[in-house]
Amino acid sequence: MRTSPYKIFIALIVLLFVAISVPIAVHAKGDDFNSVVKMIEQFYGVKHEGIPFLAKAGMKVATTAARIKGGEARRLAEAGSIRLAVFENQDFDGDFTKFRTSLNEALNTTWIPLIQTLSASTEEQNYIFLREAGDKFNVLVITIGEREATVVQVTLSRKNLALLMKDPEGTGKSITQEATIIDQE
Amino acid sequence: MKTLTEPSAVAPGKSAKPSTLITPLLALLLVLSAALVTKAQDSRIQLSSLDHLAAKASQTVDVNIDERLVRIAAKVFSEKDADEKKIKDLLTGVKGIYVKSFEFETDGQYSSADVELIRSQLRGPGWSRLVGVNSKKDGQVEVYLLFHGEQVGGLAVLHTDDRELTIVNIVGPVDLDKLADLEGQLGIPDLEIERKPKTKSN
Repeated sequence: MRTSPYKIFIALIVLLFVAISVPIAVHAKGDDFNSVVKMIEQFYGVKHEGIPFLAKAGMKVATTAARIKGGEARRLAEAGSIRLAVFENQDFDGDFTKFRTSLNEALNTTWIPLIQTLSASTEEQNYIFLREAGDKFNVLVITIGEREATVVQVTLSRKNLALLMKDPEGTGKSITQEATIIDQE
Repeated sequence: MKTLTEPSAVAPGKSAKPSTLITPLLALLLVLSAALVTKAQDSRIQLSSLDHLAAKASQTVDVNIDERLVRIAAKVFSEKDADEKKIKDLLTGVKGIYVKSFEFETDGQYSSADVELIRSQLRGPGWSRLVGVNSKKDGQVEVYLLFHGEQVGGLAVLHTDDRELTIVNIVGPVDLDKLADLEGQLGIPDLEIERKPKTKSN
């Protein structure tokens, strides 16, 4: 049976729209925090340690009154909103420009990239993405170094998002520190 | 049931029907050309051609404050805080702020062709280079404004030095004074731009 070229043309257009819309639907449904953690694991061949590991080691993550070394205590994340994955003492060998491309492609439908800093000499990568969550905002801070990495997702109030937008690098570091600081008291 | 062996399945001469394809193809072309025209009038500079420099740079900074983020910024910056109100006012009408900055440990890590890809966009219709603009920073600073008639529709700053390449692109109505006020905020680097009496030149 022969199909007319017109029908083939229409079918191609439909296929094109399906191809574009399917990945969007997949990304929108997925848990992006876990996807990013898995992406780091797969790309670099590393394994993360979650908060329970730190708790087992007799340490607890400070979620209140975080004291930040060398600076004043700042509480940025909304209570109970911190999600943290830590990678320690592992090698992050790989083409960071390729990782960056994959990360941006994976998150660009649901998250907005705010700032990204990379260093070829120290192999450090920092990414800050955000998205609206009702009247608050989810912020995803990804930091990758030569031997360690952290993925932090927090919810910020409008006031704290303003701080992040005014000083993305400084506030991004504060968010990671707040999530990972160890309260030894 | 019609099979491929049946010559009558589709009448000869009617199977290709090229004329039926012309209308949708023309429509598609029209949509694509409209998109290209819109892009040409946009003051957003395409910076992705520089992405390869990240593999050589000791520090790469990529700031991406698109229209969605400008809208969010307008929501979150307080009217009561003097600093935030100032930024909020400065962002009025702005549709995007994009910064790409590379620092290198040695000279000659980027080529004139890399810079030319940016400059060629700034020679496009509507763009004018401002003369009489200096920076306290080392190297050369070029400031360009995009004019839509008398209105400024965008700004671009290109800073080149032996070991540094920075491009700041603000989309929307903006001027140098506004840029100066935004320096050091929102991830915009401090370019230390000083302005002499305004002159327009191509």
